[in-house]
Amino acid sequence: MPKIVVDGVSYEVAEGRTILQALDDLGVLMNGVDIPHYCWHPKLTIDGSCRLCQVEVEGIPKLQIACNTLVTEGMVIHTQSERVRKAREGVMELLLINHPLDCPICDQAGECKLQDYAFEYGVPHARTREPRRAAKKRVDLGPTIVFDQERCILCRRCVRFCREVPGTGELAVFQRGDRSTIETAPGQPLDNDYSMNVADICPVGALTTKDFRFKIRVWFLEELPGVCTGCANGCNVYMGVANNRVYRYVARRNDEVNQTWICDDGRLSYKRIGAEDRIDGHALQAPDGRRQQLSFDAAIAQAAAALRGVIERKGPGAIGAIASPHATNEDLFVLRRFLEALGSSQAGFTVPTWRADALLRKPEAAANGAGCRALGFGDAAPLLERVRGGAVAGLVVLGHDLLATFGPSVLETLRTLDALVLLDSHRSELEGLAQVVFAARVPAEKHGTLTNHAGRVQRVVPAVEPPFEAQAEGEILWRLAQALELPGFAGEWDPYAVSRELAAAEPAFTGCDLDSLPSEGAPLRGARID
Amino acid sequence: MQKAPYVTSYLTEHTGDDAFATLDGYRARGGWEAARRALTEMSPDQVIELVKSSGLQGRGGAGFSTGLKWSFMPKGADKPKYLVCNADESEPGSFKDRLLLERAPHQILEGILIGAWATGAEKTFVYVRGEYAYPAAVLQRAIDECYQAGILGPSCLGTGFRHDVVITRGAGAYICGEETGLLESLEGKKGQPRKKPPFPAQFGAFGMPTTVNNVETFSHVPHIVRKGAEWFRGFGTEKSPGTTIFGVSGHVRRPGLYELPLGTRLDEIVFQHAGGPPEGRKVKGVIPGGMSMPILPASQLDVPMANEFLRERKTMLGTGGVMVMDDTTCMVRVGCVITYFFRDESCGQCTQCREGTGWLHKLMQRIERGAGTLEDLELMLDVAGKMEGQTICAFADAAAWPVQGLLRHFREDFEAHVKHGKCPFPESFEL
Repeated sequence: MPKIVVDGVSYEVAEGRTILQALDDLGVLMNGVDIPHYCWHPKLTIDGSCRLCQVEVEGIPKLQIACNTLVTEGMVIHTQSERVRKAREGVMELLLINHPLDCPICDQAGECKLQDYAFEYGVPHARTREPRRAAKKRVDLGPTIVFDQERCILCRRCVRFCREVPGTGELAVFQRGDRSTIETAPGQPLDNDYSMNVADICPVGALTTKDFRFKIRVWFLEELPGVCTGCANGCNVYMGVANNRVYRYVARRNDEVNQTWICDDGRLSYKRIGAEDRIDGHALQAPDGRRQQLSFDAAIAQAAAALRGVIERKGPGAIGAIASPHATNEDLFVLRRFLEALGSSQAGFTVPTWRADALLRKPEAAANGAGCRALGFGDAAPLLERVRGGAVAGLVVLGHDLLATFGPSVLETLRTLDALVLLDSHRSELEGLAQVVFAARVPAEKHGTLTNHAGRVQRVVPAVEPPFEAQAEGEILWRLAQALELPGFAGEWDPYAVSRELAAAEPAFTGCDLDSLPSEGAPLRGARID
Repeated sequence: MQKAPYVTSYLTEHTGDDAFATLDGYRARGGWEAARRALTEMSPDQVIELVKSSGLQGRGGAGFSTGLKWSFMPKGADKPKYLVCNADESEPGSFKDRLLLERAPHQILEGILIGAWATGAEKTFVYVRGEYAYPAAVLQRAIDECYQAGILGPSCLGTGFRHDVVITRGAGAYICGEETGLLESLEGKKGQPRKKPPFPAQFGAFGMPTTVNNVETFSHVPHIVRKGAEWFRGFGTEKSPGTTIFGVSGHVRRPGLYELPLGTRLDEIVFQHAGGPPEGRKVKGVIPGGMSMPILPASQLDVPMANEFLRERKTMLGTGGVMVMDDTTCMVRVGCVITYFFRDESCGQCTQCREGTGWLHKLMQRIERGAGTLEDLELMLDVAGKMEGQTICAFADAAAWPVQGLLRHFREDFEAHVKHGKCPFPESFEL
């Protein structure tokens, strides 16, 4: 392990790494050691072309680019010397001579590395009197991305991304010199499952997503750490929130989960939070299809009465539950305890699937299938058999994944139930069969944890408050248990307390409670769950 | 300083003879004997040592020791090794390699085979400038002759050593003369220099260890093998041995190629060999080594043409392309031509080069139009300074140095434009 000295501070770094890589490994790059850079990206090959990361290395006469200079034992590096300052100033000036002054209408403004570095390392006045390069402002690169040629600083991160990550290689630099520009080949638009990452890694406002552009100035957004719930990978995101609305997801780096990427479907999955088809309040469902909006308390009373009827007629063993891979570990733990307290072992779950790939997209199109399994839930099919056979007459159903897995025929099975209580966030045909429908919160509306396909437990935080009455499944079940006078559900619903209880009860979840969980999540103890 | 006889040529001694371009004609002049000797009587290391001790420096512009470069190639054969002959000759003012390709192709191929033996390379790619259609055809004819005669191929000269030579044609980009830009182009990619490390000797053409040498550099090698390092050191200066081919162009009476020892004085080349400027004109300035080298004023032509002397005058030998300009020449227009060229040819990777070449050209044009200010002159120097020594390859230096040279020696031309608001040289060439 070579030791290097950067600005007088010693660091022990890994062998075979370049200066920027080594500092990034230690987490100090731009977080204690400021070496501004454009073309270098921790998850892409080294390009070495922007020349902004030049530093002084003792014993080498010329300034060296930190992105491509390998660390050696005893290397002494200066990142803030006068020579380095001058070189940065020079690069910034040259990058700005042709850059348009359209920050007021640029989506990147406020999170633009050209703005940031110009402010930090540039000179405040322009020395050029020459007209700036005029180029195309709105190039449609494909279904998701718009390109502004004038704003592009040709760092080529997007070009390398397309070649190296999805492997599709749609983008290339065409022309040369100061006519260089990013383009796609005719008839081959930028169109892959990960295309919108190019907007995340574009340091300037050259690449913007059609989805987010012109929606809101970024400084109005609060960026909350969250987890994408599109599939079992659990890619880390920042949820951009303002006005009680999620405006976008951008990838949040987690080297254990998603590097710095997220797939396009996952990125756009934020739209499910404020979707038109949300179940917007608890309701009593009449057999003729009419819905009657209920308060939470009233809905609990109705649901408890329906379940109590089944228990009285056929015993607690006739009550079953369908767990949801969209619910949090805490919700699921409460469901498990609910059934235990009731004295029923009738439970199961099912997970929808989608088109997976070798990169991030996992086969299960739900965030917490692994959590269901870790908490002991098995396949829903045998439970449905027992419903058909009449052994199970009352069912608490979380979510509507049964429809995707078993098809419309499952509706016939469920129609035979005496009581169906549905806890769901989005509308489906299951609603028509339920006596009581509870509006459930989605992960972006509650505290909790999710277990990804590899058994990594990651936390979610409430980004928005639903604009209608809705509760976490855990809270609904907690209150239902109280209404049924089941033991062990004293006091108010508290996801933190439940998470502590879960961590204590399930050895696999040790250290995974909401108070202890680090921002990058933690693996379940024991074997990988998959 | 000058140890060798006044005019001696070995590279171009027989280039006047049409037959010299054929295998028979070349053999008749003793050709291919050096390669035979190297492959049968010398070990690869002995060849490298010989070339090292001859002091041969690369003739492509950078002037790096050829023997040393060959010694960087890894020993052993765990993967294929390649040689590249750089016949891109894209430096404006340079046309010596064209002569060697057209008139002495076997001399190049013999140097290549000796280099291949020394470095253990199994294949040589000759990267020929796209515009050089005829030279490429002549070279291909020579290669075909060599294969037929068993000089190249599975058993070169019957020794069992395998070597293949193939020609790759460029597509006309200046930057593909830079060795790693060349390698990218050779691989079928956009001609953009590679960041270093890794260096070509570790990771070159198609990822294999590769050495790139210029056409003229290879051409010297058979002579060194045949006559020895001492003989070679008999030409030129102590630090810069051998001859080189100076290509003289511009305002001289006898433009052309002159093979002369390194260290020959620039004024001797311009006035004696090339006949000086046309009647009634005076020399104003001379670019000594191709367009990317800083210009020298008429008062500084008493310099021996070798890097150790030219460096003292803040210029370099480059490719030996001597460009002579007489007193009708507007040096600001020269600046416009040069900055336009480099703006056009910059590959556009590095910020300083992509943006700086364009800015310099715009500033130069403004001054030429008479719309510039004295501050613009300082600004040009400042921009050139920001480009120098900070990029992946030497292109940005090549673009900055000529501007610095023009402002160093012909500042009065620039100031006159600013002062009069127009170009004061009505007889100069049209832009």
